[in-house]
Amino acid sequence: MSEQRPFHRPMPANWWAHKPYLSYTLRELTGVAVALYGVILLAGLVCLWLGADAYAGYQDVIASKLSLLAHLLLLVAMLWHVVTWFQTLPKTMPRLILHGKPVKPQSITAIGLLVAGVCSVALLAAVVALGAWS
Amino acid sequence: MHYFDADILILGAGGAGLRAAIAAAEQAPEMTIALVSKVYPMRSHTVAAEGGSAGVVQAHDSLDNHFHDTVAGGDWLCEQDVVDYFVSHCTPEMIQLEHWGCPWSRKPDGNINVRAFGGMKIERTWFAADRSGFHILHTLFQTSTRFPSIRRFDEHFCVDLLVEDGRAQGAVVLSMSTGEFTAISARAVVIATGGAGRVFRQNTNGGIVTGDGMALAYRHGVPLRDMEFVQYHPTCMPGTGILFTEACRGEGGLLLNKDDYRYLQDYGLGPAESEPRNKFMELGPRDRLSQAFWHEERRGRTVTTPQGEAVLLDLRHLGARKLKERLPLICDLATQFMGIDPVTTPIPVRPAVHYTMGGILVDINTASPLPGLYAAGECSSVGIHGANRLGSNSLAELSVFGRVAGEQAVRFARSAPAARRLDQAGAIEAKALSLLQQKGGGERHAPLRAAMGAAMEKGCGIYRLGPEMQQTCDTLAELKRRCADITLEDHSRVWNTDWVSAIELGFQLDVAEAMAQSAVARTESRGAHQRLDGFERRDDATFLCHSLAHYQADQPPTISYQPVTITHLPPAQREYGALGEQLDAASKDKVHD
Amino acid sequence: MTDIPPALEKSRMIQLRVLRYCPSSDSEPSFVVYNVPFSDDMSVLQGLQAIKADQDGSLSFRWSCRMAVCGSCGMMINDEPKLACETFLRDLAPGPVTIEPLRNFPIERDLVVTVGDFVKKIESIYPYIMPKVPKSIEDGPYLQTPAQMAAYDSFADCINCMLCYAACPQFGANPAFIGPGAMAMLQRYNSDSRDGGQLQRLDQIHGEDGVWSCTAVGVCSEVCPKQVDPANAVNQNKTRSALDFFLRFLRKAPSP
Repeated sequence: MSEQRPFHRPMPANWWAHKPYLSYTLRELTGVAVALYGVILLAGLVCLWLGADAYAGYQDVIASKLSLLAHLLLLVAMLWHVVTWFQTLPKTMPRLILHGKPVKPQSITAIGLLVAGVCSVALLAAVVALGAWS
Repeated sequence: MHYFDADILILGAGGAGLRAAIAAAEQAPEMTIALVSKVYPMRSHTVAAEGGSAGVVQAHDSLDNHFHDTVAGGDWLCEQDVVDYFVSHCTPEMIQLEHWGCPWSRKPDGNINVRAFGGMKIERTWFAADRSGFHILHTLFQTSTRFPSIRRFDEHFCVDLLVEDGRAQGAVVLSMSTGEFTAISARAVVIATGGAGRVFRQNTNGGIVTGDGMALAYRHGVPLRDMEFVQYHPTCMPGTGILFTEACRGEGGLLLNKDDYRYLQDYGLGPAESEPRNKFMELGPRDRLSQAFWHEERRGRTVTTPQGEAVLLDLRHLGARKLKERLPLICDLATQFMGIDPVTTPIPVRPAVHYTMGGILVDINTASPLPGLYAAGECSSVGIHGANRLGSNSLAELSVFGRVAGEQAVRFARSAPAARRLDQAGAIEAKALSLLQQKGGGERHAPLRAAMGAAMEKGCGIYRLGPEMQQTCDTLAELKRRCADITLEDHSRVWNTDWVSAIELGFQLDVAEAMAQSAVARTESRGAHQRLDGFERRDDATFLCHSLAHYQADQPPTISYQPVTITHLPPAQREYGALGEQLDAASKDKVHD
Repeated sequence: MTDIPPALEKSRMIQLRVLRYCPSSDSEPSFVVYNVPFSDDMSVLQGLQAIKADQDGSLSFRWSCRMAVCGSCGMMINDEPKLACETFLRDLAPGPVTIEPLRNFPIERDLVVTVGDFVKKIESIYPYIMPKVPKSIEDGPYLQTPAQMAAYDSFADCINCMLCYAACPQFGANPAFIGPGAMAMLQRYNSDSRDGGQLQRLDQIHGEDGVWSCTAVGVCSEVCPKQVDPANAVNQNKTRSALDFFLRFLRKAPSP
């Protein structure tokens, strides 16, 4: 009978709260922010469906100082969500070879963010223009 | 004691051992091949080889050129029939590795690229960036997993061979993780355990390069041939001895002394030209470059670093792009270990022990004088390196003779009687256990190891003196006596590296003694064995022969001599640089007359 | 004849806290503190070697090449997975330096962990060329342009050091997860223009023990000493795994 007795060290239950996993945990939490904003949007839709009074009540809540603060935090979280989403994107793609050299993941992230930024600004401008026109 | 019955046993899973295993498995799929290694195969020291592997490919090159370069490089101590076989099989083996996936560096059109290397007239060194050994080893290991008949014993340390009825019949191995022994019986045994560079204090080698297989064969009556020839690689990191590949020079790197002068031109390797020229200057053979360093140091023209004297390896003119593409590992090593960026700063380098030309005596079929025992790779002396090895011939040797060893082992095993379970296995286990269980009072082995390294560095250095070599011999004999009485600090069984490294020290001392005794007996200078005590010249009349060291247990080995096989290249003056070119041209004229 | 170069002066001391464990005498691992004289050029590995040579010969750890190419000396140094041979004491001074065996693996002895499962994983992914087009030696080498080599060569640089496994919390949670290193090797072969074995290597990537335990934490690629980017190897195979799942479904649908 050999003297072998391998010792198992279990992972600490709070591994996600420590370096180097903190940024991963934060990234994943931004998904929660996205979900939360989805709920807020959905609430607005439901209020619209319920009628003008309900919708007016919704607009009051939205305009409150607390709500504005919450929206600011959610916006920051969602922007971070977008940035980290595009940072993760190249990880999921096969290696691209252009002119004999591998394309850097940072380039893919940068292009993705640029396109997302341009599209968002264009969409916003379109909405504002439509609103002003109508 | 556990038992395992195999048809073929291979000790060592580096390039040669893996190649032998694959060859045997392909030739005889019905045979069980036990592949024993004291480390996982991808840790074998083949992994650290950087520069490349030789194989004639260019239209203007020829097997004859490779033959000539090798024999001259070996200072005519090569077995020329074996070299003939070797050069004609290098390229097919390199192609085989490529088919198995080895990522050889390519030309833009997708064909294999070759680079210049020291002592080679025409470029024929295949390379995989500057990690050729790494890629060859991983290719071989990963390919070997295709064969279910290869049964690996990873992290099993070989304690002794089983030799009975005058035949090699297996080995007793110790599992690192359980501390228990297994007697492996086999009808043929291949030793591929690598060199013994760790007997020297400063060396490029990994910790595992301790001459285990050499010592085992030696203790069982197989002579060790040409042990006095130890290669000093000229460009290593001061302090650690970590290797900066010859490819640095193949790509055009320069060696400068403290006056920024390309000093090699003072040592018969010139003239210095702006473009690299094969067999000139920095592309001369390793022994000559290391010897030049020694002289520069004596003349006070070397650079002083905290880790000792050095010269400068200048790669700046290669430019960042070429450096990152061709020498990425070198850049990493210089940056991480020395804080030097080769793009902007020359790297201090000095010689360190790198390769063991000598080893287990084997013939062209890798067969040792002991029936059933074969050897391939750095642990063997098959006769291709002679007194000095050319860079990139060693990686090629692993494939060429690894395959031969595997096939020959199959041939022998097919006709050999079945191996039996032997009683002597128990005695081998008991002997190893007695070291483990010996309690208190004896010396620790670490100081003995340090003393061995220092003695070898002093007595068997780049230049040697009789009295100093003799002193080293005496020191080694004394260390052997002391080693027999050591006590371990660790008496447990699981992963007891104290125990294993003590046994390794015993192997190393025997091999070191063979090196030092062979050196003091060779009263001439040839290749890597250079003396400054009245024996400065090559003496073909007396010493155009191989040394054979014969183990005598507690006494120093006896040294005998064996003639060299000369077939079509009679001994000539060994020159490089301008003089070498002159002599080459003159001899060609003679042929045409 | 050779002068022995003077060792760099070891004028400073540093404390190394090493997690020791000997199964025959210890019920569990515990830290032992060593004070080691060190010089500017010494690595953590050399520090451990100094302990073994001068203070305690029973300390066990894996090592060989000393130049970060054999992959033996992976361990946790100040809670980060690193190769001991290329981690320098001068960067960790004044210390103390905490040295533990690689995280997420069972400890066999001192700094030695059980790696057999990892080796089995790399053996399981058909880690060899299954040629698209068979060729004999006489036909010569396959052609492979530098661009074709760039498609896989960084995956081929993996030294099997397992730092990525120590970094991966999903491997820590699920030891059967194939993991970053094995996936890098799988992708190395799948991306090699000479290889035609992509279909055979599909089974290994499915399911929780395939790529789906991965949640793109990405620390594996951060700790990799050779910039292999194993995170990319794992994550790009999620698409392949998903595609194969649907294609198989389509294949099973009855034809009209």
